[in-house]
Amino acid sequence: MNNNELITRDTVPEAARSVAEKAGTPEGREMFLRADKDAILPLCRALHDDPALKYNFLSDITAVDLYKQEPRFEIVYRMYSIPDGRRLWIKTAVPTGEEVETVTSVWKNADWLEREVYDMFGARFTNHPDLRRILMPANWIGHPLRKDHPLGNEEVQFTINKDDIVPQTAFLNEHFEGMDFAEYVERGDEINTFYGAANMRKYEQEGRIVLNMGPQHPSTHGVLRVILALEGETIIDADQDIGYIHTGIEKTAESLIYQQALTLTDRMDYVAPLMNNFAYVLPIEKLLGVEIPPRGQFLRVMLNELSRIGSHLIWLGTHALELGAVSIFLYGFRDREILLDIFELLSGQRMMTSWINVGGLRDDIPEGFTDLVRYFLDVFPSRLDDYHALLTKNPIWLERTKGIGYLSREDALNYGVSGPILRATGLAWDVRKVWPYSAYEEFEFDIPTGENSDVYDRYLVRMEEIRQSLRIVEQALSKLPEGNYRIEDYKIVLPPRQRLDVSMEALIHHFLVPTHGFFVPAGDAYVSTESPRGEMGFYIVSDGGTKPYRMRMRSPSFSTLQSLPLMSKGHLVADVVAILGSVDMIMGEVDR
Amino acid sequence: MLQSQQSGIVLARLDDVVRWAERSSLWPLMMGLACCAIEMMATAASRFDLARFGAEVFRASPRQADLMIVSGRLCMKMVPVCKRLYDQMPDPKWVISMGACASTSGVFSNYAVLNGVDKIIPVDVYVPGCPPNPELLLDGLIKLQEKIRQGGTL
Repeated sequence: MNNNELITRDTVPEAARSVAEKAGTPEGREMFLRADKDAILPLCRALHDDPALKYNFLSDITAVDLYKQEPRFEIVYRMYSIPDGRRLWIKTAVPTGEEVETVTSVWKNADWLEREVYDMFGARFTNHPDLRRILMPANWIGHPLRKDHPLGNEEVQFTINKDDIVPQTAFLNEHFEGMDFAEYVERGDEINTFYGAANMRKYEQEGRIVLNMGPQHPSTHGVLRVILALEGETIIDADQDIGYIHTGIEKTAESLIYQQALTLTDRMDYVAPLMNNFAYVLPIEKLLGVEIPPRGQFLRVMLNELSRIGSHLIWLGTHALELGAVSIFLYGFRDREILLDIFELLSGQRMMTSWINVGGLRDDIPEGFTDLVRYFLDVFPSRLDDYHALLTKNPIWLERTKGIGYLSREDALNYGVSGPILRATGLAWDVRKVWPYSAYEEFEFDIPTGENSDVYDRYLVRMEEIRQSLRIVEQALSKLPEGNYRIEDYKIVLPPRQRLDVSMEALIHHFLVPTHGFFVPAGDAYVSTESPRGEMGFYIVSDGGTKPYRMRMRSPSFSTLQSLPLMSKGHLVADVVAILGSVDMIMGEVDR
Repeated sequence: MLQSQQSGIVLARLDDVVRWAERSSLWPLMMGLACCAIEMMATAASRFDLARFGAEVFRASPRQADLMIVSGRLCMKMVPVCKRLYDQMPDPKWVISMGACASTSGVFSNYAVLNGVDKIIPVDVYVPGCPPNPELLLDGLIKLQEKIRQGGTL
């Protein structure tokens, strides 16, 4: 059954009949609905509960500010039917000052997603259990992603403008409620700490121990704050406070042309920067309607999988370090250095290469590149065996990871958990197989799954994923097609350097493309990719100009992190470290 | 420092001895903020080996650290936390601002990132780069050691 047959006026309940607009692909795997805002809750409930529809996975809720238009906000829901591999988008228009019913009762991960929409846009959700700010400081004034919220930047100083520059502190002085910036520096921690722990205060009143962990903690993988309620040393409840590295990337991207915004994406999920580039360019290329030549696609896949290995090596090193195995950390970083050498050879930069860009890659692979990748493929498998020998049957490792952090498959889906953690529950759901992008359908690889859905199984799944990634890199290297590594539309990519001497047009393009950018047809697009942490994708809204009207990243860890209380209840304090390690979140991508 | 070969006596100015001890055993605070923290970890790992410069003892508690490496963008919610951590470190203490974001907010000139950690705490050495290579961080550390040796100036 496909969406076209399933979603009819008869299947959706009475209250949701005002579905105004319906569009989809002919085969019915994807569908787009525009619904009335009062119909959202009954419609979502029907989509989730109906045994034929089975929309059991909420991928994302986000909003677009259509400034100076009414209704002002457009809220976008994106959901999947995991068993059937069907996708559905729902859009609804919300006028200023009006509210839309929350869907937290349908999918659990709607909680944080709606809080983020509230924090960033000020759009409110009726009956939301806990509608607080999530990323910004507690006493921040304004909602940053609204178009009328200033960017808050400080201009670069030159001789011509040095007298006109407004310092950032002047902006900040006006944006904290009841205090200026200097006072916020002194007292802000107190305010944010109190605000962020709102749900846990009841335990303090009950006389239980409430333990704060982070944001400065060696094993929270960055600046995450976890608040634990304890009975003795056993965790009875937990809550997370995020936003300590909210960087405003989505806002800044709106003021940059598409190629410039690309460099910001590197810094979201900073242990696998190339994957962000990849995920970012796919929806733009979809809007532009360009097809990347096979060589470009294969190289992209190869770089993507090398990044995945690099990311998993950092996960392995830090996860093991936190549980006391220091040597694995040193080994993991030793092997990652080879990967960084590969990227450095390619681009001159170790981490933030921005090498995958709209239309293909920035340049073809240099001389010696394949030799270095081949060297990695030669030495690494035996080292991976060593790590298995060090950990997989190690009694201390087993003691710390087996049976810890259980998450059932139903809960995982309900919380929007994807990636290795979902696969550890035994469900072989991988975007690379379900909705292949780029050239993934041409590669042979398996999807490792677990059985027990604990920290140990997640470890095994990731270790096997490294091996599968090696297989993909090997295939990409041996089957690497000849031809161009990028498209030949010189309104989008720079023309070759040598053409500048002979072609006036090439000279113009060489000037226009970097300074003015390229025009992207109006519309919106979203493409899912499989990052080391799960389903990652960029939602790009274009108004036909050279800058994105809205850029949104669907962050995998953002959803996964919400299930942390569920995973840690009943375990000891020390187990939280193991569970956080197995979640492998990168806060840069959670907070963006 | 003067050293007598026979009797095992060392004659030196107390200041020099103290500074020698301070610069040879910097204990950085284990504070990772963003991308730069990954490169900071790489600096501490086997290839670049921060231990060669006596600064490998990363401490998780500010009470035991005397060097703060601000490794990454300092965002609004983290600003007061960073200030508090600095205040909690015992004197004498030093700060390395690692990377473009910590020094000037780098590519993220916006409402969420403080443009320069030096707005809230004094910085001794700025390390450029986005993120800086481990060699650059090591260079920054050596510069800081030189600064300590000379009594606070370069």
